[in-house]
Amino acid sequence: MNKNSQAISRRKLLLGALQGAGVLLLSGCENIFNQLHQNRKVLSLLESVEGLNRRLLRFLTGSNKLAQEFSEKDISRTFKPNGNPPPFTMEYVKNAMSGWPSWKLEVGGLVKQPGQFSLNDLKAMPARSQITRHDCVEGWSAIGKWKGVPLIEIVKLVQPQPEARYAVFYCLDTDTEGNNFYESIDMVDASHPQTILAYEMNDRPLPVEHGAPLRLRVETQLGYKMAKYIQRIEFVASYKEISQGRGGYWEDRGYEWYAGI
Amino acid sequence: MANLAYRHNRITRLTHWVNALALLILFMSGLQIFNAYPHLHWGSKAEPEEAFFSIYAADEDGDIRGYARFFGWRVDTTGILGVQQTDMGPFPRAFPSWITIPGFFWLAGGRRWHFFFAWLFALNGFLYFLYNLGRGHMRKFLFSPYDAGKILPMILYYLRLRSESPQEGEYNPLQKMAYTGVFFILTPLIILSGLAMSPQLDVAFNWLPAIFGGRQSARTVHFLLTFLFAFFTFGHIFMVITTGMINNMRCMVTGWYIEKGLKDSRDEGLTLNPETLEPTEVVSKPESEGLRNEQK
Repeated sequence: MNKNSQAISRRKLLLGALQGAGVLLLSGCENIFNQLHQNRKVLSLLESVEGLNRRLLRFLTGSNKLAQEFSEKDISRTFKPNGNPPPFTMEYVKNAMSGWPSWKLEVGGLVKQPGQFSLNDLKAMPARSQITRHDCVEGWSAIGKWKGVPLIEIVKLVQPQPEARYAVFYCLDTDTEGNNFYESIDMVDASHPQTILAYEMNDRPLPVEHGAPLRLRVETQLGYKMAKYIQRIEFVASYKEISQGRGGYWEDRGYEWYAGI
Repeated sequence: MANLAYRHNRITRLTHWVNALALLILFMSGLQIFNAYPHLHWGSKAEPEEAFFSIYAADEDGDIRGYARFFGWRVDTTGILGVQQTDMGPFPRAFPSWITIPGFFWLAGGRRWHFFFAWLFALNGFLYFLYNLGRGHMRKFLFSPYDAGKILPMILYYLRLRSESPQEGEYNPLQKMAYTGVFFILTPLIILSGLAMSPQLDVAFNWLPAIFGGRQSARTVHFLLTFLFAFFTFGHIFMVITTGMINNMRCMVTGWYIEKGLKDSRDEGLTLNPETLEPTEVVSKPESEGLRNEQK
């Protein structure tokens, strides 16, 4: 009996040791990768391929190529509105309920003709409708119909100066800590024919959860680039001085500025 | 009596280990990315109720359980998938922290690792491919219709139901099938299905997601191929261990394999250069590239 219990305890000990070694090994690996990820040099090495991605993919794409456009029957039944909650301030709610009378889109920065546009002004401009696929960085896709002003129409009106390289979108929505959402795209994407400032979704005024009254559609990139609740567009030479300097709300939190992949 | 054979050239050995590291990190960072949306769909879009596979956590009267669901078939995966016990209690996450990179829940971080090592994987594979194609090495394991007939005898041999191996060249028919499949089917498909998820590339090439049946199908294919790679890797490691681990490992590090029944390569005028550990022909100058000796 003594011998038997010894055998069992030995087996238990061995199994326990194996299990312990396994857990130690795995959590050790986990810690190594976590530490590597928090190491500034390692992280900037990993981040260095973002420029390669942008150059390679833009090179392969060429210009004048359009994202696939779908038909009405492909439109998603469910279109998840990700991101920050809508900016429910008194002014926003009042405006939303009365058709945005006091909302205006301001466009400025390095431009020859700064401008202000009411929603009716924008609706009076040339419009584009497109049924496109929205790809979230999380991995899901949804198809929606969007109508709005091609950004290039605004560009033609305000005439950015030659040194303007980016369009920065300042938004009304904030996160729980009060940080304002903002995003930026470069002039290549700003001039893409399917890059529009959308005020309609699925043949209805843009719903509040999808960024009313105005949101950006950039069909060459992931969803987080497509700013909602836009109130101001600024053309700049660099975004280094804006917020944390990485070109957008999600970029300041570690995501790629170039979200074409 | 050791019969030394020089089996793996420098480029093969280098790219093998770089590839091993890249695949491991691509696998683990890929699972991190999957965790951001642990559902699989078919087609272009992802209607939530149409996911055919999901990993999720469910609160059952305060007890958090993890589940994997495949169509109508649900399995309790608590302890492995869907929920992980942490110091702060159960935390819903599809794949547990120890198999993802980084270990903490961070999609942006997973993407950084994944894209960096995707470049490494692709460039490394390209180097291997160019070098070994140029040297005619890949012909040795290219699966041909002739090999198809030898698959069954080879399986029987492995199962000890047949005494003689049907192997003729350096690689047996099962190895040829595995390597040809991985090199010429799996690898191109996993790269293409990965690229098909890029909205930028889809703008240029509308056909790219379409060949998989849509972007969500491409994502599903990419995920499933990952596990074919994992399956291959496990098979590979199993064979390495069971067919003489020390010898196999040494061979993939130094290039030299101890082989029975083969003439010692030193008998053919080959010797080991002690500095480079590369074989050199005794008759030729010691500095000359010894790699071509392998072709004998």
